[in-house]
Amino acid sequence: MKAILTDITKCIGCNECVKACKVTNNLPPDKPREWQKTDGLSASNWTSVLHNGKYNLRKQCRHCVEPACVSVCPVGALHKTETGAVVYDSDKCLGCRYCMMACPYGIPRYDWDEPVPYIKKCILCYHKIKDGTISQPACTSACPTGATIYGERDELLKEARQRINAEPDKYLDTIYGEKEVGGTNVLYITAKDCPLDFLLYYNNRIEKGKELAGMPDLNEAIPITTKWAMGAVPFAFLGMGALMSGIYWVINRRNKLQSENQKENQKQEDENG
Amino acid sequence: MDRINKAKLILWTILGIAGAVAITRFIFGLGVTTNLTDNTPWGFWIGFDVMGGVALAGGGFVIAAFNYIFGKKILHPIARAAILTAFLGYVAVAIGLLFDLGLPWNIWHMIIYWNPHSPLFEVGWCVMLYLTVLTLEFTPVVLEKYPNIKLLSIIHGFLYKIRIPLVILGIMLSTLHQSSLGSLFLAMPYRLHPLWYSPIIPVIFFFSAICLGFMMVMVESMTSSYLYRKEQEIHILGKIKKYASYMLIFYLFVRFADIIIRGAGSFLFSFSWGMSLFWIEILLSCIIPLIIFSMPIKKIKISILYFGAFIGVVGVVFNRLNVGGITHLNNLTEIGSFYFPSLMEFSISAGVVSAAMLIFFYFVENFKVWEESPFDNLVINKASKFNSFKVYLGSNPIVNRTKFSFSFIFAFGLTFALISGGEIHSSGFDKSPVTKARGADTLLIDGNRDGYGVVFAHVNHQKLGYTCGYCHHINKPDDKATGCYECHDDMYLIGDAFRHDWHSSSSGANLDCFKCHNKSVSKGMNFKFSNKKATHICQNCHNKIIPLDSRIKILKTYKSLSYTDAMHSLCINCHEQKLHTDSLLKQIKPNLAQCSKCHKNFSVFKKDKKLFQGKKENKWVVVP
Repeated sequence: MKAILTDITKCIGCNECVKACKVTNNLPPDKPREWQKTDGLSASNWTSVLHNGKYNLRKQCRHCVEPACVSVCPVGALHKTETGAVVYDSDKCLGCRYCMMACPYGIPRYDWDEPVPYIKKCILCYHKIKDGTISQPACTSACPTGATIYGERDELLKEARQRINAEPDKYLDTIYGEKEVGGTNVLYITAKDCPLDFLLYYNNRIEKGKELAGMPDLNEAIPITTKWAMGAVPFAFLGMGALMSGIYWVINRRNKLQSENQKENQKQEDENG
Repeated sequence: MDRINKAKLILWTILGIAGAVAITRFIFGLGVTTNLTDNTPWGFWIGFDVMGGVALAGGGFVIAAFNYIFGKKILHPIARAAILTAFLGYVAVAIGLLFDLGLPWNIWHMIIYWNPHSPLFEVGWCVMLYLTVLTLEFTPVVLEKYPNIKLLSIIHGFLYKIRIPLVILGIMLSTLHQSSLGSLFLAMPYRLHPLWYSPIIPVIFFFSAICLGFMMVMVESMTSSYLYRKEQEIHILGKIKKYASYMLIFYLFVRFADIIIRGAGSFLFSFSWGMSLFWIEILLSCIIPLIIFSMPIKKIKISILYFGAFIGVVGVVFNRLNVGGITHLNNLTEIGSFYFPSLMEFSISAGVVSAAMLIFFYFVENFKVWEESPFDNLVINKASKFNSFKVYLGSNPIVNRTKFSFSFIFAFGLTFALISGGEIHSSGFDKSPVTKARGADTLLIDGNRDGYGVVFAHVNHQKLGYTCGYCHHINKPDDKATGCYECHDDMYLIGDAFRHDWHSSSSGANLDCFKCHNKSVSKGMNFKFSNKKATHICQNCHNKIIPLDSRIKILKTYKSLSYTDAMHSLCINCHEQKLHTDSLLKQIKPNLAQCSKCHKNFSVFKKDKKLFQGKKENKWVVVP
């Protein structure tokens, strides 16, 4: 599976990746709205560069190994391809926006201003790479510093580990995307004073200072959380059917016996009387 | 006919409002009609119309189970009404969903494209099948009316024979989708508050749906008895009240046991937004109804009983809203935006409910839903009372129809007029992000809305001899001023400094055109508004050049911006161009267009902290 490795310490925030993404995917200009201030992603911006005064961070779809969006889409409009990219089929989509709700990184965006809206997100330039028009995603080929690179996921993991081991004082000893939500195909390594936990909604969701209660494990893929409920469906269905039929049979029989008894009693009374 | 007709008049008016909003929604899309954002993509339509609606219609399967399966014949008189309510409830859910879906005409895709892993897929299928079952369960009531048509009576006989299997199938399907609506949220552990997120949320949803089923049937029975001046079905209400109390106690127990076993008990008493919502919900859905239901039926006033059941219904629907969206913002405000439903969202929901109620009344009046006719207790003609409407609008049935049509058309038209074009075209887009000013002449214009301004020397632009209108006045879709790039054509950004629609609209400044445009110069129809001579300058009205709402702040300290800001951080473009055009430079500085050769381990953005006052330190913002 192909993946992207982004090294926060190397990114200079030149926005070349954003520009390349716009050109390659033929995206229209932005229609700026309130929430774009928070992370810059929109239906017409599939990647954005954030900065906190010291470091720059490129946001994009993580292309999870076990994507939540793919598992929750009721019509299978999103699917994971053989290269690892999570791509979208607008012909199937019915616009329920469950994928946006379920994404643990809050990535998919919507054409809110269109009467015929679609889901928009990074597709790792899947179609163009498949055609052979380009050999790697527009963003990675545009990066002037090599802060974001494209390659096999296993090799990039090795590369990331190497970089961390080579400069343990500089890098934080975590590869973001290695394990979280079951692993992602977009990996991040970052500087010691710049943890990226906030990227996962998960880490923002609790009132501060309190432990998670009854929450699934951080490294567990999101599709696993619905698994038991979906597995229980046939049993619940048939079980309920059997239970209801059983109760109906018992009560019906009891009523019948009762009315027969009554009749017999009446007969006896009549005979006696 | 007074009460029922008043109710219908109100419902038709709401329907008229919703009709106009519906047209807006389908022509202009979701962004204009709703307050939904990319951070909160599900809102009131999912929380209330779909999740609340399905739960409200749960009365159908609960009463059907008690009446047909458990043999509680006492409930028989309300069984038909309960099934009708359920049927209309599900139709309302389907209609509400059509508004919420981005591509509602693709809703049938669920039949041909399958993704059995998705809880929503399962809910969709169950609702479709259950709607079919409910139709079959209710059809006999309609067919009864035509006993003379042979084909219909055969169908009626067949449906009557299979009614028990149908009821069982309905219960099976209801069990599934009532609980699967909860399963939807298993996939978003990070969105829900710990007091609501539970691995057994489907089970909790199922139990609360049963509670709601009972209470909704009570509300529906009491409402229709009131509206049609029927005698309240006290003995049935007493029975349902008893079942509802048992179920509520059980639900309350499961709810708290779940929270404590999960270890989320500490959240129950930690003062926060989530905690207060939780306690309000429990108070409404369980505690108040339980207290009222614990009183004996003969002593209790019907209005108090109604209050109890209604509060219970509100409480459980509030639970659905909490799970469906309200509690999310607690968790997401750090990174996202605040969501509160827009008026248009409310009116669509109200319209869908009104339509369902009107259809309910239609069925009640025309078919044998109740054992006695709804007209038995009504005094149709009060001859003694003079009715002025009757004089103008005709006899009794016609006068009502006329009134309803009139209220519908009036509400429809009024709403249509109130939804102004300006609101549609500018809704959701940011106002002029002119942020900080140095003295009064230099502004920082934040063209791409990223929180950073670009130095803009306003005085110098004025000196160039253009009118204000030259920059502030060309109306384009989504943009109410000329972007800088109209002159500075190497730029790609748009601005929003002057709101012409606000200045001219009656709900805004309500100005005559010639308040700003010079009448003497602009003769005839083809004058140029942006011509210098034809337009007054803004200062004529705005004595200080800083207009209201323009978000301009005057800084006391004078700080210059970095070159990067002024260049919109598009450094690399010029560097590349220079390198290609200047052959000398190519020899001296071959690495001019490779950022990393100079900028090695440090960021290019070393800005003065004071410039970004008010922004949280270490907050991630978009690079301009």
